[in-house]
Amino acid sequence: MEEEDQQKVSDLIKELVLRLLSQNPTSNPHPIDRNSSEFRNSLRYAVRILSSRMTPSITPDASAIAETIKRRLATQGKSSQALTFAELYTKFTSKTGPGGVNNKWAVLYLLKILAEDRKAAKTQFDSSVLLPNLALNDAQTGINSRVSRSLGSKDKGWKNGVLLVSKDPENRREIAFREFVNLVKEENEVCEEVLVRDVLYACQGIDGKYVKFDKNADGYILSDLVKIPRATRIMVRKLSELGWLFRKVKGYISESMDRFPAEDVGTVGQAFCAALQDELSEYYKLLAVLEAQSMNPIPLVSEKVSSDNYLSLRRLSVWFAEPMVKMRLMAVLVDKCRVLRGGAMAGAIHLHAQHGDPLVHEFMRRLLRRVCSPLFEMVRSWVLEGELEDIFAEFFVVGQPVKAESLWRDGYRLHAGMLPSFISQSLAQRILRTGKSINFLRVCCEDRGWADAATEAAAAAGTTTRRGDLGYGETNALESLVDEAAKRIDKHLLGVMYKQYKFKEHCLAIKRYLLLGQGDFVQYLMDIVGPELSEPANTISTFKLAGLLETAIRSSNAQYDDHDILDRLRVKMMPHGTGDRGWDVFSLEYDARVPLDTVFTESVMARYLRIFNFLWKLRRVEHALIGAWKTMKPNCITSHSFTKLQGAVKLQLLSTLRRCQVLWDDMNHFVTNLQYYIMFEVLEVSWSNFSSEMDVAKDLDDLLAAHEKYLHSIVEKSLLGERSQTLCKSLFVLFDLILRFRSHADRLYEGIQELQASRTMESSLSSREKSKLLRLSSDKASEPGSWISDGRKALTQRAGDFFRSMGQELDAVAKEYSSLLEGFLSQLPVQQHVDLKFLLFRLDFTEFYSRSGPGL
Amino acid sequence: MDPDAARTARESLDLAFHMSNLLDTGLDRHTLSVLIALCDLGLNPEALAALVKELRREPQHSSSPPTYAAPSSLP
Repeated sequence: MEEEDQQKVSDLIKELVLRLLSQNPTSNPHPIDRNSSEFRNSLRYAVRILSSRMTPSITPDASAIAETIKRRLATQGKSSQALTFAELYTKFTSKTGPGGVNNKWAVLYLLKILAEDRKAAKTQFDSSVLLPNLALNDAQTGINSRVSRSLGSKDKGWKNGVLLVSKDPENRREIAFREFVNLVKEENEVCEEVLVRDVLYACQGIDGKYVKFDKNADGYILSDLVKIPRATRIMVRKLSELGWLFRKVKGYISESMDRFPAEDVGTVGQAFCAALQDELSEYYKLLAVLEAQSMNPIPLVSEKVSSDNYLSLRRLSVWFAEPMVKMRLMAVLVDKCRVLRGGAMAGAIHLHAQHGDPLVHEFMRRLLRRVCSPLFEMVRSWVLEGELEDIFAEFFVVGQPVKAESLWRDGYRLHAGMLPSFISQSLAQRILRTGKSINFLRVCCEDRGWADAATEAAAAAGTTTRRGDLGYGETNALESLVDEAAKRIDKHLLGVMYKQYKFKEHCLAIKRYLLLGQGDFVQYLMDIVGPELSEPANTISTFKLAGLLETAIRSSNAQYDDHDILDRLRVKMMPHGTGDRGWDVFSLEYDARVPLDTVFTESVMARYLRIFNFLWKLRRVEHALIGAWKTMKPNCITSHSFTKLQGAVKLQLLSTLRRCQVLWDDMNHFVTNLQYYIMFEVLEVSWSNFSSEMDVAKDLDDLLAAHEKYLHSIVEKSLLGERSQTLCKSLFVLFDLILRFRSHADRLYEGIQELQASRTMESSLSSREKSKLLRLSSDKASEPGSWISDGRKALTQRAGDFFRSMGQELDAVAKEYSSLLEGFLSQLPVQQHVDLKFLLFRLDFTEFYSRSGPGL
Repeated sequence: MDPDAARTARESLDLAFHMSNLLDTGLDRHTLSVLIALCDLGLNPEALAALVKELRREPQHSSSPPTYAAPSSLP
């Protein structure tokens, strides 16, 4: 039996060998001969192999083998085939009995091995096909490699100089990766994870194991002693920039916080620090997440990526892109704002916010919103409540303690250095004015109604009077709030000024009394006070003058005026030296109390005084001329009493009288026209302009400006300005001359009266009475009084002499007058003011002067 | 053989052939049947697999005859 078996075995082997040989695709085309040497060789070889291994190396467990095969199929992804195989296997095993395969396990094992080999062979063939050179080489180098391979296929062997550590040498990709890993391990002393962690520490300002802060180089650097490839070094350096920036920002924050107790840093600075700290806390969050991730090991390139996120230097640089931009911005801002405070800081930061990048823009907007909130708060409280809560001097409105009367003009001003650049100059002016108005109302006018106006304004602007509603970026809202508040407060203020304090009425009163608008009052005053004022200044008592003022008021229409106004009118004696007459030092004064004295300040009142002086002088001259006119009535003169005079004297008398009359006319014409010009062209016109401007004035500043303009125009036009100094002087000289004329005229007429009296007396009285009269009249110092003592001849002679002398004096006066007037008139056209040309026109209406004098 | 046995044998061979195709061994029916017979007779499947592998790579092998000792005779 055994022999049979043996024979069977050998037959089968022969058969197998034959089949296999013929099966070979690369074998020679003609069929294998049983008796060829090839065949015999193969047979011998086959027997050798078969006899070398008698026992199998594994336990004959069919199911286990089947399982292995199934798993292999499944892992190869051929799960359907695995199922099919399972099915087949079960069927296979069920076939027991005669005809069935006994050693099922053997069959299975055989199949398994063949399949594996086949698969391996296939891949090898593929690579040979792809790399023809390699195949050729293999063919040339001959069998040796093949043999060695066949021998050592299951053992470690050398392949192309690379140590094979894996069971299957065909995975070239894996080989390459392993090669790379080894290279990396050789080059880097420190592994990447440690570097990543160090960089993360550096980005928080802490020195890591290898990355430390170097004061000399001012940066985080990797020590040169550590062996790391250049690329990694550069990357670490780039990422450490973030650490440097962080250090700078953090340094600034801690520095500022140290200065807080010293009250060196303002509210804006504090807000800036707070905003920076918020941004940094976001940054810390990111770093925390990254640190958690950095704990995961960085997988090698060959391994599959695990589900955990790991952190490599490259990934870190991607993570850090955005924080780097933000941190750089913050560092730039920190540098800029180190020395600034308050509104200047806000303005500087705002300039940096003008950026096109939306990330930067958004970041800056957030930052600025916080930084500017104290500023906006200050604006809000200033505009709505008039409160200036500025401990650190950061606001652009600066207040200083002043008296109530200069609160408006000097109490508050703008500090341009603290004005942030997003608030325009006009808006700042409006803000200043609104707050100033509230303070003015509160302090000077003692008015409480402004609070309602403020709440109204806030409601109208859409915000409330509570804190924290306005922010940066809402400059429009701020502007509208300020506008609304300004509108209402201004209106309220003007209302208070007009109604409660009767600003207009007071202005009118000043015009009537100080600017001599109330004609009848002035006339009475002049009449009463005139004789008093001729005395030397130091003998006049103010008290008496005050009493006279009262009398004048009561006897004119001024008595019907408001008592409050009349109370404020007073007499004032200016400081005088010796030799001054009352006329030079007398003036009226108007007492404007708070709050009107913001308009009528000291300097303003001084100007009013100057104008008053001028007008008073003018009036006095007018008054004098009128007085002279009163005595010049022709009826007294051309009475029949003079018919007895000699012809020559009569002629003289008449001519003198005539000359006097002519001179008087001249002077009167001049004074009247000047008076008219001043009263109407200057005062009334300016007043009407001022009045109309008062009506359209929107706030106190406008009022002040209008009043200023009013006064200025008066001063300019009435020749009191600086440009008309010479003109003014000549005018005063003219006035003096006119007054001198008055005294001459007085004397003349006195003399004529005397003459007349003496003549009538002569004709009607006895000598005894004459002598009496003589004695009486001898008390008089004037010469004509002694006429009566003489006879008729002497009288005539005396009269002649008198008239001659008077005539001469009058001539002198007339000459002087005409020359002065000429001088005055010649200067008029040179003046630049348009209205003075009108004066000239009036004065020289008939062109009398321009024809007579060559200068005009 | 009785027809049942023959049928069983045939079916077994079919199944084995199917399995071998699944596993992509590249064996044809006849070779497989010979191999199964040899396995049944008790030969070592490892050796058989090695033999198959070697004989498959015949072309290079046959160019230069390997030097080895004289084959021992079959027991």
